Amino acid sequence: MQIRVERLRVRHENFELRVDNLHFSANRVSALVGPNGAGKSTLLKALSGVIKPVAGSIFVDGRELSRLRGSERARLVSYVPQEHSTALNFRVFDFILMGRSGYLNIFSPPARADYEKTEEVISYLGLEALAARKCQELSSGERRIVLIARALAQDSKIILLDEPTTFLDLKHEMEIINLLRKLAEDRGKTIITSVHSIDLIPRLADFLVMIKNGQILSAGPTTEIFRAELLGTLFDYPLRVVEADGRQLILR
Amino acid sequence: MTGSKRKNKNKAILYIAILFPLLLLLFSLCLGTLRVSLKEVLEILLARISGWPSDLLTTPAANIILNIRLPRVLLALLAGAAFSVSGASLQSLFRNPLVNEYILGVSFGAGFGGAASLVLFSRNFPPQVLAFACGLLAVVLVLVISEGARNTLVAVLLTGIIVSALFQALLSTLEFIASPYALQALFFWLLGSFSQATWPDLAWSAPLILVGLVFLLKLGWRINVLSLSDDEARSLGLAVKRERILIICLATLVTSAVVAIAGIIGWVGLIVPHAVRGLVGSDNRLVLPVSAGLGASLMLLADDLIRTLLPFEFPVGILTSLVGIPFFLYLISRARTSWS
Repeated sequence: MQIRVERLRVRHENFELRVDNLHFSANRVSALVGPNGAGKSTLLKALSGVIKPVAGSIFVDGRELSRLRGSERARLVSYVPQEHSTALNFRVFDFILMGRSGYLNIFSPPARADYEKTEEVISYLGLEALAARKCQELSSGERRIVLIARALAQDSKIILLDEPTTFLDLKHEMEIINLLRKLAEDRGKTIITSVHSIDLIPRLADFLVMIKNGQILSAGPTTEIFRAELLGTLFDYPLRVVEADGRQLILR
Repeated sequence: MTGSKRKNKNKAILYIAILFPLLLLLFSLCLGTLRVSLKEVLEILLARISGWPSDLLTTPAANIILNIRLPRVLLALLAGAAFSVSGASLQSLFRNPLVNEYILGVSFGAGFGGAASLVLFSRNFPPQVLAFACGLLAVVLVLVISEGARNTLVAVLLTGIIVSALFQALLSTLEFIASPYALQALFFWLLGSFSQATWPDLAWSAPLILVGLVFLLKLGWRINVLSLSDDEARSLGLAVKRERILIICLATLVTSAVVAIAGIIGWVGLIVPHAVRGLVGSDNRLVLPVSAGLGASLMLLADDLIRTLLPFEFPVGILTSLVGIPFFLYLISRARTSWS
């Protein structure tokens, strides 16, 4: 499933984001990168339908996102926030089960099919040991995985993630990166994620969108635009990209 | 605890929560100045339900059981369930364990509405209508005013206090202009009591409460999802604003239907859900029904105590405040830590 953005303008908390034309291909991992406050999260929230654009359109496989009902939208696009709110201390299983809400009538609790989908996701991600625990007992790495599990239970072709690896240690960071690649390659998901540390991008993303001051600085295949000059301009800091072991590395 | 063990435990708690209030109901009908045995109570109830003409139904005991104790006991059960379920729902909706209908100004709004109805129309017009309208007005005022401050909890709490104060002032104005006869009724009613419960009162309030409760219980899963952040709930497919308004209206409906005939009885909706979450966890599919059962039982027990231990009619609303306010202070003192 692909996403097309046309003449989009989004306003969020005294901030305006403008995207004239942007296209995310199906079954790919796309990364949004840029300085803090550039508009990455705002773009993700607009793409997920959480905030409505002031002007312009977002098309998911040709269907305009803002015209869809909430439940229809939830079956197409899921959104993984950085942290889930923890007002109530749900069990991990019930938390993942919430991904099924878009398939439920307002007065119906989850049914057998929803439980089965949740169990399938739990075994796919190997989370059996966590399922009976409470969300507030989890480590930050476990919480990120559980949030991704909820998005998988939502069973949408498109998954949007807001900096899913920030504050994680190296092992958990790599687990998430590998999982996102696997989801795109094996499960045919279209992944769009904002990324804080640019070092990860060559391993993670097929497609790169550079955002600065609420506008797109550059967008294209990672192999083409992951360049020192562009990245330097993006972050206002001189960088070097060197190659070692066939991989691109950033030197600051 | 393993999954199936926990499920069995929760099922057991759910059954107890349903059965206990019913047993307590029978037991409570026996209590009072005139002792009636459980056997007699059952016979009277059966005779009444079966509809057959029976000598039993003409005895003074039958009159006391059916026309005085039964409406009172039923009202206490409904009130306890209504306050507890609306409290639990609102706490999840506002993501805060301290919120309840009392804090949101519903109680005093509905209290003023009910009082205004009594003073204006006497008993010729059901007080539930104005109680619900003013209860809703109070919540809307609180939410609209605190929205400027982005609905932070402190803003909601402060606005709730101020809106409650406004309706208390309006109530005082009513008391000032009411006739001495109306004033006495008003005064006692406002302190919160089930002693005046009659069948005609219940005929209006009970269906409203029951319908509201059934819908709230059916919304348990949605209330779970709405306890996440608005962004998350929206991305999971919920119509956040509309569903929130529906739940707030239902919580206001059940609360004001009780307040309209029993007066202002606070804090039940704070204590009961807290205890229930400690017992069964956070899932509202379980928290709401168990809160209904436990709240109904506690409310009835409190009324039984007042009826049997004290030689005079002590307003149950004062009792719940005396227990609830220290509990609220205790929760505030550890508000930063956790829910249960």
